[in-house]
Amino acid sequence: MMLWTLLWIALPFFVGFSIYLLPQGDRILALVVTLVSMAYAIVLFWQPAPLELHLLDSFGVTLMADSLSGFFILTNALVTAAVILYCWYRGKTTFFYIQVILLHGSVNAAFVCADLISLYVALEVIGIAVFLLIAYPRSDRSLWVALRYLFVSNTAMLFYLIGAALVYRTNQSFAFAALEGAPTEAVALVCLGLLTKGGIFISGLWLPLTHAESATPVSALMSGVVVKAGVFPLARFALMLEDLDPIVRIFGAGTALLGVAYAVFEKDTKRMLAFHTVSQLGFVLAAPEVGGFYALTHGFVKAALFLIAGELPSRSFKTLHDQPIRTPIWIALVIASFSISGFPLLSGFGAKVLTMKNLLPWQVIAMNVAAFGTAISFAKFIFLPHAPTQNPPVKPGFWPAVSLLLVGLVAANVVYYDAYSLANVVKPLAIIALGWLAYHLIFRRVTVKLPRMLEQFEHLIGVMSLMLMVLFGLVMA
Amino acid sequence: MLYACVYATILLGFFGILLKENLVMKIIAMDVMSTGVIALFVLVAAGGGRFTPIFIDGPQRDYADPVPQAVILTAIVIGFSIQALMLVGVMKLARDNPTLETRAIEEEYRP
Repeated sequence: MMLWTLLWIALPFFVGFSIYLLPQGDRILALVVTLVSMAYAIVLFWQPAPLELHLLDSFGVTLMADSLSGFFILTNALVTAAVILYCWYRGKTTFFYIQVILLHGSVNAAFVCADLISLYVALEVIGIAVFLLIAYPRSDRSLWVALRYLFVSNTAMLFYLIGAALVYRTNQSFAFAALEGAPTEAVALVCLGLLTKGGIFISGLWLPLTHAESATPVSALMSGVVVKAGVFPLARFALMLEDLDPIVRIFGAGTALLGVAYAVFEKDTKRMLAFHTVSQLGFVLAAPEVGGFYALTHGFVKAALFLIAGELPSRSFKTLHDQPIRTPIWIALVIASFSISGFPLLSGFGAKVLTMKNLLPWQVIAMNVAAFGTAISFAKFIFLPHAPTQNPPVKPGFWPAVSLLLVGLVAANVVYYDAYSLANVVKPLAIIALGWLAYHLIFRRVTVKLPRMLEQFEHLIGVMSLMLMVLFGLVMA
Repeated sequence: MLYACVYATILLGFFGILLKENLVMKIIAMDVMSTGVIALFVLVAAGGGRFTPIFIDGPQRDYADPVPQAVILTAIVIGFSIQALMLVGVMKLARDNPTLETRAIEEEYRP
């Protein structure tokens, strides 16, 4: 198994760099890599004990793969496969597939590494690959969005490195376990880097603009998996170190509420989805022990929603109300929206029930409010008018990608089929009904423009210093 | 004392990122900040001593810890490549925004 793990980590990078030699086979090779990841993740679920690897003595790289990583890796594999299928007939160059596959490899690496420095390297490679993907259209605007992303992420990673150095000074080790007993400032700095990279709470406000202004497949990749590379280590810390668990949970609840508060008032489809990602990452962190399953369902559904939003005739909800969308697209949109609102029969339901079961008492109200907000925001999609028209025609590649994700959503029900009891079924249905009612009575009519001041570039950097203070206070307490 | 200098460098870099208007100056400030971080790793490595750890016969001296030094080499390479990438991006942006003022660029490309 050790050998297979190493081969699996190296494969995307090997294939990524050799695709240039075989440009005709770029799509097929990229797809094969994601299939290998899928197989690896499924094998991981059958492992009786977590797999721990120490390469090169005690100062070398340490890796740890368990079922939590398995969920994240499976998400990564399926979302990347769907994006490759989506781009199949769209004339993307080989360069695009290289970046996608390198991104896939580095996100995989982030999901298995168990020491601070390997994680740093993986996150930085992710940053570079995402920069190149956002800037792929080469327009000035995409370039600025990409630069902004790289700037924020690199500054955050510098803080993270300072934290890593301080951890090493105390415990002479870079392993995650060394965070136990590390000084307050070290833990705060490491967490700041990960919170920013993962798009959590106010340090994640770079995310809406970046995710909304990128091209459709890139948005799907970023919202589906890339932000989870920052969230996964936080969940891992919360499980390994008892002191950090309450902090991670607080941020989970905070970001769930913040994201959803923006999402219910948003009038732009892609921005709404992006804010909603901020909120859903909160659900992953609110109950770290079952966060893997939530991340899986969220990854599938958010990637599908971004791909579908790319096929809609307009990005503004107002225009979409006057312009019926094609019925098949509408059906796909409704299935995805139902899943994320927690409707039974789709795995979003199971994930929500499981997360709600593992909450601490003080979190319950916050997370239910967030679930209610989710139902309101997705009512905007569900109640769009639709008609059986044929134009504009859907590009080939769209349906394979979206059906792969939606089938994944239904199939993932097997993870937690105990959820189907009467009490469990009634509660989400009540929340959804209330959400729809609130949407029709209030949110459909009001127009509130929330200020975007905090999303300005300088404030994004400034917020990091604020968050550092907050984290310092929390770790001290 | 040395630690104070290192932290001062990091802070100065950070304030540069925050306060400088020009995009190129921001990138240079980020370089200052990463120089500070690198210096911190070197300083942490020198905690036990400053000699190069070479296996020799004779008395062992206080040698520097090679692990943080090896680690920071990776980080230097990564930081360098990111900066190169950013500067290329800035070069392209400069064609249409010759002043490279972040505020103006942000206004222009806001949706």
